[in-house]
Amino acid sequence: MSLFIRNYKPNSLATVYNVKIWRLHSTAAESTQKKDENEEEFRVLDILKKKDRIQRKVTRRADIQPDRSDRMAPDQNWGNVWPGPKTFHPSSVPLPLRQGYVPKGQAPPGKKANAELMKVPNFLHLTPPVIKSQCEAIKQYCTEWPNLLNSQEAIEKHYPVEIITSDYCHASPSIRNPLARIVTLRVKLSTLKLDKHARDKFIRLVGDRYDSSTDLVTITADRCPARIQNTDYVNYLLTACFHEAWNVEEWEKDKTEDDMEYYDWNNNASKKSLVNWHLQKKGESKTLTDDEYKSFDVSEIQHADGYKNAVSDWMNSGESEETVKKYAEAVRKLFGLPEKKVV
Amino acid sequence: MNTSIIKLVQHSLGVSGVLGQCSPALASQLHTSAPLCRVVSGKYRITKKRDKPLTYEMANPPHYIAHRKSWNSWNTSNLKDGLRRSETALEDEFIRRFMTGTWHGLVCSEIIVKRQFNHIRVAGIIRRAVSPTKMYFLLGYTEELLSNWLQCPVTLELQTVDSFKDVVFKYI
Repeated sequence: MSLFIRNYKPNSLATVYNVKIWRLHSTAAESTQKKDENEEEFRVLDILKKKDRIQRKVTRRADIQPDRSDRMAPDQNWGNVWPGPKTFHPSSVPLPLRQGYVPKGQAPPGKKANAELMKVPNFLHLTPPVIKSQCEAIKQYCTEWPNLLNSQEAIEKHYPVEIITSDYCHASPSIRNPLARIVTLRVKLSTLKLDKHARDKFIRLVGDRYDSSTDLVTITADRCPARIQNTDYVNYLLTACFHEAWNVEEWEKDKTEDDMEYYDWNNNASKKSLVNWHLQKKGESKTLTDDEYKSFDVSEIQHADGYKNAVSDWMNSGESEETVKKYAEAVRKLFGLPEKKVV
Repeated sequence: MNTSIIKLVQHSLGVSGVLGQCSPALASQLHTSAPLCRVVSGKYRITKKRDKPLTYEMANPPHYIAHRKSWNSWNTSNLKDGLRRSETALEDEFIRRFMTGTWHGLVCSEIIVKRQFNHIRVAGIIRRAVSPTKMYFLLGYTEELLSNWLQCPVTLELQTVDSFKDVVFKYI
């Protein structure tokens, strides 16, 4: 509105008339009056806005740098270009990469403006020379491995107790993971140096935590919220079980043959009848007490050891074709019978 | 479309009414809208003139994730027994909305959110429609605000293109 008013000032109106008059009379004066003419051109009604459309033409900026990868020397240090983990950037990677699924016969999308390449985690910061140089750099903080611990057996001998824990690494603002509290203690039962009674009692105390096939006792604790508490608890359990195993209670003397955890040939009727048969064969007729039967040395009877092993094997590992066959062979040897003919 | 939604709503109301009396847990596990989503969601309708631009991400429907395209969120919460599932999903959605709003009309691709430990990397393709000075400002602004809200370091790793046409994969 203000523009309209200015254009119709009486002063400017007068100049317009002046210019018109001058133009009628002289052409030489035109150049001197050009400035005024530009100022006061006739306003055209532009319905289609053609003028604006031309002005809105997009101008591309010329200040966009060329790709960094085009100017890279082939013998540069790649670790300096890509020092750490970073999302893929096409202008700093001098590789002709393509990624994406396209119908047969077409080329996959290139590396520029390719979101798929930005999604996948890359290992451009972990090239072999970089890994090598980083290993060299942290070498000064490493200590030498002890010479005496040169084999798995030596490690097991010097460090029989094994503590197993898990550390968890995940993408979240918190480094805590409740599963990290779980502590497992593993020890070979033979390294505890228990006697026969203590070993038996220890196995009964730990129950199914003992694996007879590997001779390993595994104690796991997860009841406390912190790992150190669980470690203490696991160590306490092992100590408590160990010392309890050495205690002999009054009621343990009442243990009968039915309570035995395994078949002991020396305590059983099989030995008694073997000894009786042996004595009868020798022509001696004497009655032995239970203790005498138990302590009787069977090595003086020929093939008695084989018989003992066969019977114990059968009773301990159960009846199978193997054990029955072994038993049959042992009995034949004991009685001096010929071996079974294979038909 | 509208009628099918109404039908689904009626259906779900009826079913959840019956189930709700039996067991609230069972009713909450019932997804009545799944078949509709499978057909419609993440897919684009072909136009008459075949002039609708699609990016590579849009051109591949959701069932091609892990086959032809990969995920837009990379974190360990998605894995089995992952921690902070809901928090991570919500934060990722927040980052996406904040990014598209802050870089208004400039984002040409999906916002990719990658998490490593407590570090969040936000990647995306941006149009070069504003001056570099403004872009630097927006970069710092986004990083600063997001890291303040999420309480972890946030890095923006952007790629720039001249126009949206550079990311177009095909027209349908």
